[in-house]
Amino acid sequence: MTRMKRRALISATAVLAVAALTAATVPAQAAEVGVTNSTITLGMTLPMTGTASPGYNKIPGAMKAYFDYLNANGGVNGRSINLKVEDDQYVPTQAVAKTNKLLLQDKVMALIAPLGTANNKAVAASVNPARRGVPVLFVNTGFSGFADTKKYPTTYAILPSYVMEAKIMAQYIKDNFAGKTIGLVYQDDDFGTDALKGFTQAGVTFAAKIPYASGSQSAATAAGWVTKLSAAKCDVVILFGVSSATAAGLGTAAALKYAPQWILGSVGGDATTIKAAGVPAGVLYNAVGASFAPATTDMTDEYVKLFSDIYAKAVPGSAFDNNVLIGMNTAFVAAQALKAAGTNPTRASLLAAIDAKGASFASAALLPLNYSKTSHVGYNGYWFGKYSPTGDLKPVDGKYVLYTTDSGSGAVVKSTWTRPAMPAKGLPQ
Amino acid sequence: MRISSTKSRFLAVLSSAALVATVVVATPAHAAAVGPICDKKVPVQTCQGTTSDGAPYVMMVPANFNGTVALYSHGYRYNIDLPAGMLPSVPTGYKVTNTPEPIPGGNPAIASYFLGNGMAIMGSGFARQGWNLDSAVSTNVELVGAFKTAFPTTKHVLAWGSSLGGIITQTLAEKYPTLVDAVAPMCMADNVSPELTAAGDVLWGIKTFFDPTIKGGNYSAGAAGNAEAIGDIVKVLTVLGSLKSSMATGAWPATSSASGKALEAAGVPSRSALLLIGLMAGLPTQSDHFDSISGPDGALKLSFPLAISPALAVLENAASAAVLAILATQDVELQVGGAVYDNTKTDYSARVEDSAVIYNAALSGNTAINAMLAVLNPANPGAPRAKGNADAMAKMGKLAATTAKVNVPTVMMTGVADPITPAGATQRVIDAYATQLVAERNAAIAAAKKSRSYQAPTKKLVVFWSTTPKAWTTFDSTGAPIASSPAVSGTNHCTFSTANLLTVAKTMVGAGTTGKFPTGGAIATAARKSGNLSVDKNFRAPLLKYYNEQ
Repeated sequence: MTRMKRRALISATAVLAVAALTAATVPAQAAEVGVTNSTITLGMTLPMTGTASPGYNKIPGAMKAYFDYLNANGGVNGRSINLKVEDDQYVPTQAVAKTNKLLLQDKVMALIAPLGTANNKAVAASVNPARRGVPVLFVNTGFSGFADTKKYPTTYAILPSYVMEAKIMAQYIKDNFAGKTIGLVYQDDDFGTDALKGFTQAGVTFAAKIPYASGSQSAATAAGWVTKLSAAKCDVVILFGVSSATAAGLGTAAALKYAPQWILGSVGGDATTIKAAGVPAGVLYNAVGASFAPATTDMTDEYVKLFSDIYAKAVPGSAFDNNVLIGMNTAFVAAQALKAAGTNPTRASLLAAIDAKGASFASAALLPLNYSKTSHVGYNGYWFGKYSPTGDLKPVDGKYVLYTTDSGSGAVVKSTWTRPAMPAKGLPQ
Repeated sequence: MRISSTKSRFLAVLSSAALVATVVVATPAHAAAVGPICDKKVPVQTCQGTTSDGAPYVMMVPANFNGTVALYSHGYRYNIDLPAGMLPSVPTGYKVTNTPEPIPGGNPAIASYFLGNGMAIMGSGFARQGWNLDSAVSTNVELVGAFKTAFPTTKHVLAWGSSLGGIITQTLAEKYPTLVDAVAPMCMADNVSPELTAAGDVLWGIKTFFDPTIKGGNYSAGAAGNAEAIGDIVKVLTVLGSLKSSMATGAWPATSSASGKALEAAGVPSRSALLLIGLMAGLPTQSDHFDSISGPDGALKLSFPLAISPALAVLENAASAAVLAILATQDVELQVGGAVYDNTKTDYSARVEDSAVIYNAALSGNTAINAMLAVLNPANPGAPRAKGNADAMAKMGKLAATTAKVNVPTVMMTGVADPITPAGATQRVIDAYATQLVAERNAAIAAAKKSRSYQAPTKKLVVFWSTTPKAWTTFDSTGAPIASSPAVSGTNHCTFSTANLLTVAKTMVGAGTTGKFPTGGAIATAARKSGNLSVDKNFRAPLLKYYNEQ
């Protein structure tokens, strides 16, 4: 044996010895948290009670309805999906406490559809899912910052950002209400700030710009909005807040006989929720709304048909509305992500699967998902419609005209994307 | 029966120790060490003496001494007398004291644990009070030497301490790693600069919004400075009292600055300004009685935790920290010869960028936040920034400080919402140790390549987080919060149960006598059994604000 070969052998032996000893100090790979041979447990926080809860509190029921349907059809690679739901009342500190419970006590594999900008920011700062390697799937907020893969590496947005929505809304206003006096009511936090960023970028000028602090929305505060909006002689008023703020604004305005052309932001535009808060359907009639999903009354849409059938059986008597559709769609996308994560999914393989394949996941939305290793942006556009006499949002002239843009300085353009056919039985393939 | 009997004998011993300590305090400072002079009693003999810098000390050594001694370092004690009626906790007034403290708070159960298991305990009262890191470390080094001389069978020296005593302990282990076998810094203070930056931010914020006559630092020397500091304490506590009484209405104190009054006129509630001060200084938003989660039944069920409770928590924390903040600032200024707080370059907007989103509702929304930050902007002549004395700040930089290096087995315990020694001080050690461990592993691998024998580095750090309950704010039948119960775990300063202290003590003793810690599972079990302790390695406390700006 030559000297060189012997030295190489010694070196290789030493490396192997080190590797073996190092490996000996590392515990054997445990089964992933929240994954058993028969189940995968996910957890979500959202307001199930309290001021901001109306409408959104239907989302867990909708997601469970889809997961039950999925489980009855074999689940994901033989595992059924179990969803743990915690009520955070839209209070950030509650979201932190409840997320800690989900992760440390309930030991969920991933967080799914947690709702609210401030709540998600609080959880990111205090619970730190990224540091723990916990996937935060499809946050229920359009705050553009959550698509920042450096700051929130395990978080995935799904809703189009508020910046996108505002930019597209601005385009709609230019196309349909040019020369009108515009007013805006918005939530005075990052939710609203994101929207303001979009409106500013699009060059919209407001005659009245009225912020409201989260949690302060009520008939009394809305009366103040109406006073300011009517004093500014606003012809068109955008309500860019949560559903309870939309309902307070519409209801109070109707009572005070103030009737501008309303434009409702998608977050607070669910008709069932608004009507449930006591706003007559007639007040909603002809208001403009936006959505990235098909109209919930469009039974020609294969997703709407399937999801509404599933929901009707799971939650009899509960209206199939936009929150339900989005909730079921989120569950459907999550199922595909878990399927793509492999036969023995881990948190890491789930994240990798979304990065690698998320852009090709099927979904009910009329716009594509934009996931990749460098992008955690979900959907990227909207169509606009008007509320019918019964309070249902429908595309103008029955035709979806989809606009798309980004959260930066990109232009607003019409989308040419065509949604692929739904997988068989609406199950992950 | 034996246990009871042993415990009562130790309790009797502790009483006599307190008596001894009183006598020692009356002893004038010594130029040379005195003692230790031991009473030779059985089952525990008490020795007293004075180190060469004049620090009185007590050693308690059981007859069956097994060679292990635990040195305890007490926390910050004010270094000026305070008049009666100023501090609710000391209604008769505060007198500077250097009474030796050989165990945390004179806790007899802790003394029983050590003495009953053949271990000795000791501690000094230090030669000077106030921020005494340099002199306290020297005192401790001398004390260990004195003990070993008096008890030559000593095999293991353990050191532990609370608050300022925590950083004294950590610094001792950094500078004299061969002197101690294991240490336990508890509710450890951070270095003087980050601590006084936090203190200065709170005082400057209160001055800027609520009472411009508060000095907040740059105190005069001598009696005049004492009077100024005491005057500041009165003013700050008065402001906090006023804010408390107007928490619901949001009215501003009558002493508020012109900028503050303008904010009031614009509809910004005073509680939002108080909360902003807390967030920019890094004060926790959970406190003894306020969890920022719970609300009373009825109309305030949601709005209380959303809009009011965080401000009440900051108020309670500020009240806990205010006196120390003022007196520590004054003390360090005296030591280094001038003002040490300087916020001329501080960007408060950046400081609260994330927390302003989380507490947006309690801060009354972005419009109010922007208005308040505009007041704090350096361009606002109504809110002049504090400028430190460059020479004094340079001298402060030369005071003893920790590098956060972990040289010996180290057990840490801290409250996640401690307003005086924030959990971030412990986090800093964790972060530094993570880097240190990587370097040690790399070095071990490099060594193994030569020796063909891999020796994994020994784990040297265990951290117990003292956690809060899930929710703890309670309300009376009218819906008013109840703020008279004791602070819950994880809140206030060094709020540890006897079980928690024993857990730390036993872990330290185990590591100090064997050279290593038990497995992670055993540590986690010990934490769980102790109650309200967590060893969650993924928990991360925010560093003190100072560090993000260096």
